[in-house]
Amino acid sequence: MTINLNIVVADPSVIIRCGIEATLKRIQGIRFHIDEVSAIDTLYEFLKKRKPDILIINPALLGYASLSLLREECACPKLKCVALLYAVAERSLLNQYDEFITIYDTAEDIKNKLEKMSIHEEEDKTEDDEELQTLSSREKEIVVCVVKGLTNREIAEQLYLSAHTVITHRRNIARKLQIHSASGLTVYAIVNKLVELGDIKK
Amino acid sequence: MSDLIGDNYPMLLVMSRFGIPLGFGEKNVKEVCKMHHVDACTFLTVVNFLSDDSHDTPILSDCFSMEALISYLQNSHTYFLDFRLPNIREKLVNAIHNCPKDVAFVIIRFFDEYAEEVFKHMQYEEKVVFPYVKGLLKGEKDSRYNISIFKKRHDQIEMKIIELKNLIIKYYPAEGGNLLNSVLFDIFACEQDLASHSKVEDFLFTPAILELEKNQC
Repeated sequence: MTINLNIVVADPSVIIRCGIEATLKRIQGIRFHIDEVSAIDTLYEFLKKRKPDILIINPALLGYASLSLLREECACPKLKCVALLYAVAERSLLNQYDEFITIYDTAEDIKNKLEKMSIHEEEDKTEDDEELQTLSSREKEIVVCVVKGLTNREIAEQLYLSAHTVITHRRNIARKLQIHSASGLTVYAIVNKLVELGDIKK
Repeated sequence: MSDLIGDNYPMLLVMSRFGIPLGFGEKNVKEVCKMHHVDACTFLTVVNFLSDDSHDTPILSDCFSMEALISYLQNSHTYFLDFRLPNIREKLVNAIHNCPKDVAFVIIRFFDEYAEEVFKHMQYEEKVVFPYVKGLLKGEKDSRYNISIFKKRHDQIEMKIIELKNLIIKYYPAEGGNLLNSVLFDIFACEQDLASHSKVEDFLFTPAILELEKNQC
């Protein structure tokens, strides 16, 4: 299974940034979307807007600012932070980071570290991944309702579920199919013959 | 100038949005800009910003012209709304005519909804943001509005077209053929293009306005 990761590389040196990017691109089995940032101000802006999965950052760029504060300010509570080290660094400096890589790490080293880090996240998801992309029959019923234009509450009433459960189902559907809009689900439902055109034109 | 375009062909779009036509011969950027009354400094700022992979806001030099940037952004909007999206729609309609009628119908409907969203998004900038900035440039500060409002509500418009592309790639039920592939390539290109358009708005335009607002207080 391919993992998708959105990564921001924050370092003042363009050579280092490009080097990290090129190294990451050599790693098989992880699909990266990489953005570069060279200054701390842009980083804040960027994190707020894009909400990446992982931040690879030169600790010097952050200075003595705390990562938990950064996460809070940018509203990215789940952001994983990886320190990017040019040289040996004092342990206490690294405490707040989830992981660290050095510029002498091989692509394989980096891959292992990134995987180890995202595994904690993925553990509860592994079961779902087995049946990734195929919807359960309940989920299909919900797709049909959404496509017909019912609200979450109407769906809940019709299927005897709580509104909360409907929302959870919808979130799972969006994750499995990578479709986030109702009109996208309509295309999905028509192609997979879950509904007919007559049902939705009303 | 031809070196610039040859090295980085998406800059062709930037050039035409600044109102520079083809056929500039051996002239350099400065000469070409002068010939067409284009502000070379602003042109170069945009070109350099887009050629750089990072999202850093460049330090604007004194010669940078906000009017020129706005006219560039407006031309980009016209390009997307009047040419790019209608053109993709037309090709899409042709490309999917042999797939089941109901599928074709929902695909086109999806596309039209998307185009409408892009229209609204850009319309807001044309009707609210640009007039506000133009006022600001004249020294009139409208206390009811500031650019942070725009910053907050400016969303990524390329997300939904990515969804359309994925839907076609994953679920298209009939023989696709060259025409459909060509549309998909167009959508890829359009997606890139919208992303760099947003990049200019978020990391060049908005910070410049913030600066402008600060100076007026």
